[in-house]
Amino acid sequence: MKGTDRLRRLASYAFFAALAIAAVSCNEAHPNSTLVPHSDFGREIDFLWNRLLLLGTIVFVLVESALIFVVIKYRRRENQQPPPQTHGSTKLEITWTLIPAVILVFIAVPTVRTIFITQAQAAPGSLNIEVTGHQWWWEFRYPEYGVTTANEIYLPVGRTVNFRLRSADVIHSFWTPQLGGKRDVVTNRTNYIWYTPDSSTASSVWNGFCVEYCGASHANMRFRVFTVTPDQFASWVAGQKMPAHFGAVGPTLTAGPPGYIFPRDKIPDYAVPHGPIPADLRFTPGLTGNAARGKQVFSGAACIGCHSIAGNPIAMGVTGPNLTHVGSRSTIAAGRFPNAAAYLALWIKNARKMKPEVLMPTLGLDEYDPVLKAKVTAATGGLTDQQIADIVAYLTALK
Amino acid sequence: MATTAISTPAYGGEYSGEQSGLWSWLSTVDHKRIGILYLYTALFFFMFGGLEALILRAQLGAPNQHLVSAEFYNQLFTMHGTTMIFLAIMPLSAAFFNFLIPLQIGARDVAFPRLNAFSYWVYLFGGIFITVPILFAVAPNGGWFGYAPLTTKPYSPGINIDFWVIGLQILGVSSLAAAFNFLTTIINLRAPGMTLMRMPMFTWMAFVVQFLLILAFPVITIALVFLLFDRFFGTNFYNTVSAGADPLLWQHLFWIFGHPEVYILVLPAFGLVSEVLPTYSKKPLFGYPVMVYSGILIAVLGFGVWAHHMFAVGMGPIADTFFGLTTMLIAIPTGVKIFNWIATMAQGAIRYTTSMLFGIALVALFTIGGISGIMHASPPADLQQTDTYFIVAHFHYVLFGGSIMGIFAGIYHYFPKIQGRLMDEKLGKIHFWLTFIAMNLTFFPMHFAGMLGMPRRIYTYDAGQGWDLYNAMSTAGAMIFPIAMLIFIYNFFKSRKSGEIAGSNPWGAGTLEWTIPSPPPEYNFARIPTVTSRYPIWEGKEVDHESARINAQEGKTAAELGIVMPYNTIKPLFVALGLIIMFCGLMTTPILIAAGAALLVFSLYSWLLSPLEPEHH
Repeated sequence: MKGTDRLRRLASYAFFAALAIAAVSCNEAHPNSTLVPHSDFGREIDFLWNRLLLLGTIVFVLVESALIFVVIKYRRRENQQPPPQTHGSTKLEITWTLIPAVILVFIAVPTVRTIFITQAQAAPGSLNIEVTGHQWWWEFRYPEYGVTTANEIYLPVGRTVNFRLRSADVIHSFWTPQLGGKRDVVTNRTNYIWYTPDSSTASSVWNGFCVEYCGASHANMRFRVFTVTPDQFASWVAGQKMPAHFGAVGPTLTAGPPGYIFPRDKIPDYAVPHGPIPADLRFTPGLTGNAARGKQVFSGAACIGCHSIAGNPIAMGVTGPNLTHVGSRSTIAAGRFPNAAAYLALWIKNARKMKPEVLMPTLGLDEYDPVLKAKVTAATGGLTDQQIADIVAYLTALK
Repeated sequence: MATTAISTPAYGGEYSGEQSGLWSWLSTVDHKRIGILYLYTALFFFMFGGLEALILRAQLGAPNQHLVSAEFYNQLFTMHGTTMIFLAIMPLSAAFFNFLIPLQIGARDVAFPRLNAFSYWVYLFGGIFITVPILFAVAPNGGWFGYAPLTTKPYSPGINIDFWVIGLQILGVSSLAAAFNFLTTIINLRAPGMTLMRMPMFTWMAFVVQFLLILAFPVITIALVFLLFDRFFGTNFYNTVSAGADPLLWQHLFWIFGHPEVYILVLPAFGLVSEVLPTYSKKPLFGYPVMVYSGILIAVLGFGVWAHHMFAVGMGPIADTFFGLTTMLIAIPTGVKIFNWIATMAQGAIRYTTSMLFGIALVALFTIGGISGIMHASPPADLQQTDTYFIVAHFHYVLFGGSIMGIFAGIYHYFPKIQGRLMDEKLGKIHFWLTFIAMNLTFFPMHFAGMLGMPRRIYTYDAGQGWDLYNAMSTAGAMIFPIAMLIFIYNFFKSRKSGEIAGSNPWGAGTLEWTIPSPPPEYNFARIPTVTSRYPIWEGKEVDHESARINAQEGKTAAELGIVMPYNTIKPLFVALGLIIMFCGLMTTPILIAAGAALLVFSLYSWLLSPLEPEHH
């Protein structure tokens, strides 16, 4: 009687454990799950993980059941004789030294194999992407195509991509959980990580994170990876290679049709930022921006000190993200807010209220700069809401 | 009830007449009183660090919350880690080292009683130094691991990191002084017949930990000196802006210290549990020699695994392989400990006292931490786990499930020895179950959050990432801890005042410390016993009856028994104070450095010239 009760209880525990694991594996609800790999690298790790989980679960069940059994069975009873004073058993102790050692062999061998596979040189013909970690955003360069972008990567499926990781300041770490493991972005060093997104991932969006603590806004250093078909990728590259679509200048540079951009309405909810707007940050409602005027304001303001826009020869700053095609991106502030006029306006007005300690200064006239602990005045280059609306119109036009 | 005191003669009462009042505590050199000071101070910091964690959990309870700013959150998680490691768990272990080592080896005090007082005061002042800034929101904010170059001046220009660098340096002085003291004590002051292989397991683990301390702390000291020079004097050890410094130098130095530190935190708890489980099972520790050797092996291997904290930094396949394999090896001696504990209880007569429940919980929960530890000993697998909440779950199972559970087992077990009265078992069990539930509800879901991609050290996260449920569970669990702690504190102080009188050996334990009255007289043993076995009380035929009878006597002062005890002295406190003032001067004005140095030198000179104890006649 008692035995079946215990069995039934154990079975129900096992059921709930299985339920929990099933819930965790479900992809829809868990967009950053490491348990559902979508690349060769991811599968290598997943193979190890599954073995570790299996062996770990077996050890867990055995040890905990032995413990519970002993604790219940050998509880003190009324009028009990003193228990036998055993001091040990060499045979037993050798046994439970050897069993873990054997289990470890089954972990160690595939581990070493995977280490050498995943840290080999990337296959020739891989797509190279130079990643630079900045406090607190990501710069991505495609050296073969001369394309520079920020916080968003486009990858053609089925082709190995080799990331070359460098830092502009402190240590960061580069991670897209569903596509592969992470690799630190270490100051004064170059690191590499490569993987091949599965062909089945065309038209997908993945979240990426900085996973090494890098200062105040570490939590706000995110990025997006778009895995697209090779054709879409080629079109995207063609579009990104061109100078700014709006009002480009230059001898032979004429703006062609914009390249492929991942359709905004197809971006799943988990890749759309929900960052809240600070309650005390407001923008005059009903203003309409003028892009041409915006370009002038932009070119005459502090913006050009940090940002580049190919096609606008006066904007050549390199400390901030390249804005040549900022209008084609889905987020701003390293994945903190959606790239929409309302957010962009507030961002320009007072970035430091929207993202703690960000390097981008507060620009709105009469706004309080929380880092400088001072009000922005006309003398320090404060911009009116109308001027900001114009800049927003300009940036939005840069597809 | 009033008759209890009469019928139980072995109660020594409060510490004898001349040993009361504030002054006696400031000037004490008695290892037991210093142990009590450590216990109270460390419990205070434990609750302070817990409070910091509560704010962290409140913020993460739901996505995109802003109860505290990013800056303050970063200070909170830095200080939560720093507080729990350096100000709570290590000193809680030190409390037991102080109180128990001399009692377990049959000594009258530690080898250097005044140095012992000095260690405590440095710890107290250093703890205050590093904790006060959080009250003004200028606390260290570089994480407990303080990775360069983030902690160098160009990226952290404020005074926040200065408090951390200097504070840890101060606390290192305390730990090192204490470690040399305990090491000397264990080597030199053992009672006749107390061979190394007869030492109680707690003293054995303490012995191992002191070696770890004196080998690991110099490494962090050097790492911190480099950082301190970078920040104050413009050197370029880690300063990547102006020179070609390699920030990995910091990581290697930090983890060469940092990994043995894990064993510094957990081995004392293993020692306590190795006292608790045999006592309440009425059986000797299973496989005593193997328990000793596995403890030593864990400590030795612990120095060869540091880079498993760095599998993502790109060390290359050879280094990853080496450190992955050495890390896996540690599982073997650790597993042996777990199995031997279970075998200790098997065939025993287990009493479910509060202490025993905490001890059993350590075995159960540390096992979980050990298994997840193996999961990230595999470097490729670790690339998906490191710096996620999976790691947070893992080390909380090790440090809460291991260290804290063991320490609570120790507190309930030794409270009667320390205070002479029993803690309330009913309240104790409520405390245990609340802690056990809170611990698992808080930390188990973190495994899921981590494998679902949630990074560590983020002050906020976006909605729709699949982490909401697990974070809500963790936060709910965390909110149970304060209730459990309040019950514990109430029980602690109530029992201290009016708990049942304990007598010298309330649990029927077998080791030497239980042969003397509770609380022990200041001289511990009226006559130093001769030891002939590991459990002298249980193995009755071998008990030194003469010593036991004499030691059970009470109320006699050291003078009446002709025992020479060291003088109380305030000087170690002043030496510690001088040290702190010197370090404060580094952050403010050179005048303070001079003043602190003057106080230190003068007090030390006066300390060294005054005799330790009355002359022998």
